[in-house]
Amino acid sequence: MEVTRQIFWNVGTWARWPIYGLGLIVIVIFVLGLLKRIRLWKLGKPENRTDRIGKRIVSFLRFGLLHGRILKEPFPGITHLLLFWGFVILLLGTSLIFFQEDITLLLFNWTFLHGNFYLIFSFMLDLFGLLAIIGVILLAFRRYVLRPERLDNKSEDWIGLALIFLILVTGFIQEGLRIAVTRPDFERYSFVGWQISKLFGSSSAPAHAVFWWGHAFLAFGFIGYVAYSRLLHLITSPLNQFFRSFSPMGEVMPIPDIENQETFGVAKLQDFTWKQLLDTDACTRCGRCQDNCPAYLSGKPLSPKKVIQDLKDHLTSQAENPVKTEAEAAEVPPIAGNVISEDELWACTTCAACQQACPVFIQVIDKAVDLRRYLVLMESKFSPEVKLFFKNMETNYNPWTIGFSTRGDWAKGLDVHTLAEKSDAEYLLFVGCAGSFDERNRKVARSLVNLLNKANVSFGILGAEEVCCGETARRMGNEYLAQILMQQNVELFKNYGVKKIVTICPHCFNTFKNEYHQFGGEYQVLHHTQLLLELIRSGRLRSKGSEEMTLTYHDSCYLGRHNEIFDAPREVAQSLGKVKLVEMERNREKSFCCGAGGGRMWMEETIGTRISHMRVDQAASTGAPLVATACPYCLTMFEDGFKEKGMENLMSAYDLAELLERAVQD
Amino acid sequence: MSNDVWIVAEQREGKLKKVSLELLGIGKRLAEKTGGSLGALLLGHEIEGLAAELDGYGASKIFLCDSEVLKDYSSEGYTKAIVDLVKAHQPSILLGGATALGKDLFPRVAARLGTGLASDCVGLEINDQGVLVAQRPIFAGKAMVDTVTPEARPQMACVRPNVLPVPEKSSGSSTIEKVTVEIGPQDVRAKIKEIVRTAGEKIDLTEASVIVSGGRGVASQENFKIIEELASAFGEGSAVGASRSAVDAGFAPHDQQVGQTGKVVNPNLYIACGISGSIQHLAGMRTSKYIVAINKDPEAPIFQVADYGIVDDLFKVVPLLTEEVKKLKAQG
Repeated sequence: MEVTRQIFWNVGTWARWPIYGLGLIVIVIFVLGLLKRIRLWKLGKPENRTDRIGKRIVSFLRFGLLHGRILKEPFPGITHLLLFWGFVILLLGTSLIFFQEDITLLLFNWTFLHGNFYLIFSFMLDLFGLLAIIGVILLAFRRYVLRPERLDNKSEDWIGLALIFLILVTGFIQEGLRIAVTRPDFERYSFVGWQISKLFGSSSAPAHAVFWWGHAFLAFGFIGYVAYSRLLHLITSPLNQFFRSFSPMGEVMPIPDIENQETFGVAKLQDFTWKQLLDTDACTRCGRCQDNCPAYLSGKPLSPKKVIQDLKDHLTSQAENPVKTEAEAAEVPPIAGNVISEDELWACTTCAACQQACPVFIQVIDKAVDLRRYLVLMESKFSPEVKLFFKNMETNYNPWTIGFSTRGDWAKGLDVHTLAEKSDAEYLLFVGCAGSFDERNRKVARSLVNLLNKANVSFGILGAEEVCCGETARRMGNEYLAQILMQQNVELFKNYGVKKIVTICPHCFNTFKNEYHQFGGEYQVLHHTQLLLELIRSGRLRSKGSEEMTLTYHDSCYLGRHNEIFDAPREVAQSLGKVKLVEMERNREKSFCCGAGGGRMWMEETIGTRISHMRVDQAASTGAPLVATACPYCLTMFEDGFKEKGMENLMSAYDLAELLERAVQD
Repeated sequence: MSNDVWIVAEQREGKLKKVSLELLGIGKRLAEKTGGSLGALLLGHEIEGLAAELDGYGASKIFLCDSEVLKDYSSEGYTKAIVDLVKAHQPSILLGGATALGKDLFPRVAARLGTGLASDCVGLEINDQGVLVAQRPIFAGKAMVDTVTPEARPQMACVRPNVLPVPEKSSGSSTIEKVTVEIGPQDVRAKIKEIVRTAGEKIDLTEASVIVSGGRGVASQENFKIIEELASAFGEGSAVGASRSAVDAGFAPHDQQVGQTGKVVNPNLYIACGISGSIQHLAGMRTSKYIVAINKDPEAPIFQVADYGIVDDLFKVVPLLTEEVKKLKAQG
């Protein structure tokens, strides 16, 4: 007996024709649905995402086919991987059958599904089919029994899972029925079908026909359903991984040619780019963003998942009631304040925990900033605190009501020169607003200066000429103000021929490194923890610390997640003495924001728990009495948090520069 | 056109505002330079008693304009009255207070008279040409600008309250001249139906001339009473403030919060009790005229902006201070 199987066994080769017909119909349905979505994405503005094709393909392979980010959470990751690869192999198997029966057999009278190849083919299909069933059962178990908080259940979820489950099960049953009737011994390789066949007698041919057709109808139904449900992510999620942004995560894009713009930010969907709109369709509602969002976890109305889903619903409503004329377009209420509430928009700390967690690289910060830009620049809608911040920035280039001429006063009595006095310095030490004005953070600036002097580093400051780097104004949506500040600094740096910058604040660091190139400023930028580590390694700073200490290090979002500087600060911490560095549960790329980013430092936090209090609790639960920080915002939030929670006698927070200064003292 | 200097005395609900006396003080000095006489314009209804209060501060004439239409302040009614009287008497200089009322009224008056207005002035003098020179802070107080109205008359200026001193009351007396303007209800299109007050007697923090603020050092809501007692010892125009941490801890309500994310205040006197002075707090009060800090910690940053500092337990100092203020107040 030849080792193969008759493809249209029992149902007859005439079945080919209704299958062709049905196949054509569902493909048309699928394509129409997909085209509808593509037309919606094309409402957006153009944006070039076809550069660096090689990198894009790698991104698709690594994060799509290999589930790079999905696997970061083992249980949902592995179960999804089983389902995904089960389905891919089954799809390939079915395609091989189609290829043989409808192409090679018809055209060349050649078949290949026989012999050893058939046995391998049968075994693989059964194996992956079984894995897919295990996957789908575990996913359903997780969704409907374990019910993680981050999953919201819609009918499309159970329909999708049920369809997949039924397709797989009917496939196996019809295989079992076929084997029960034909009983070739080699079908042991179809090990699942073989076991099932034992349940049935040799007169199962009619039942086989029923299940064969049932399987076929379900499979076609599935294809038709894809473009009209969350199953669309089969297409959109890989697309999103392919078209993802390769800019540094911390980079906020400028409003180009701002002087000649008449509208600013995003008022309506058409103001987003096509890629920003594709983001909304790529979302599978997996909720990993929400599980990591400090705003959501502290009880704010913001959930990144909800934002993306609300935008998606808004996009879909545009398909149902398309805007045809300019007049109609003007009637559509702006997104900010209607689709996404102002409270949601202002709650974002731009910490990027959501973006780090997203398996399909959906961006949230860009949308929040675009919508804030609309509120700020078009409607002047912001809280009185934000108004004060903008006003102070505009008049004094710092967030407080302090005259700009006193910006360099912190350095009085220290051995520090301004670049105006000594322009050949190797580094510009950009002190930042906090280091310049805030008494607490001035201490950090002084410690750093003492360390740099001790290590004979050639550096200078800008003194009263320094202006805020513009980071916060930009993230608060005031792009106009941000660009003024940025351009002012770029000019200043150019005049002094600045090439290397060391910053105290990770927010300044991120902006110089990732955003100043937008205005022609290219520098080698170091955060002070990086420079200090270099000085320790080269022996220019020697820690004499012998004290035993237990500390925990808090990753600043803009140093860590946004710029992937996780090790330098930890190594500086290790050098302080006999250090026991204990990690908080959320550390490194999963670190939890202090609550001050994205302009939140300058707004009152009236809804829910204070984010800083949550982080203080997380730090306290390590048992370490000392929190090492590397960011003025974080330092302020920790110290205030300790005081507000009445813990100031139990725990303390210091910048690594302060701790190192103590450790190197004679 | 005379050389006379006029000030517009401000009253609300039958009470004279202190800025009126401050205006009389500077008006007198200006009139001496111009060689004209000083006139005070008082508008309202049934306010003869107030005219007597103005007496003795250097005005040779007090123009009393009494009309039922002028009972409550209205932009239109007051503008018409002042414009008509100025046109009739032709003073060379017209001064008002840069108060909430003044900021509403005087730009309108200046526009009607076709003259300039120096708003929010902190100093006034007469230069060698006999022209009024008004000093105004610009760029959030980083620079001062001298403003003149070279040709148009009268020369108008609004003076910031609490900046210029209240003059000594002299024995010289003013004549009270009743003036009438043709004004009727039809001249005031906006009708006041009701005046709704914010709850309580407390004045708005941003308008207070004395603010006593408590911080975390106050330690409880009950203890905040001693802060309130000190504030009330200062009498009218005083208010209670709080730092963010005190508000956070529930010692004080949010509308008392002073600082970057609360209210920005600049009273004559700011007394910070048990406030360490984080930059966020300083941002809300550093422009106060006099700052007194009471704190146990001599290192507290509040002492860097304070004019007077007391390093001691606030629970000891504040009640003592309250007693002293009460004694001084009792002496008049």
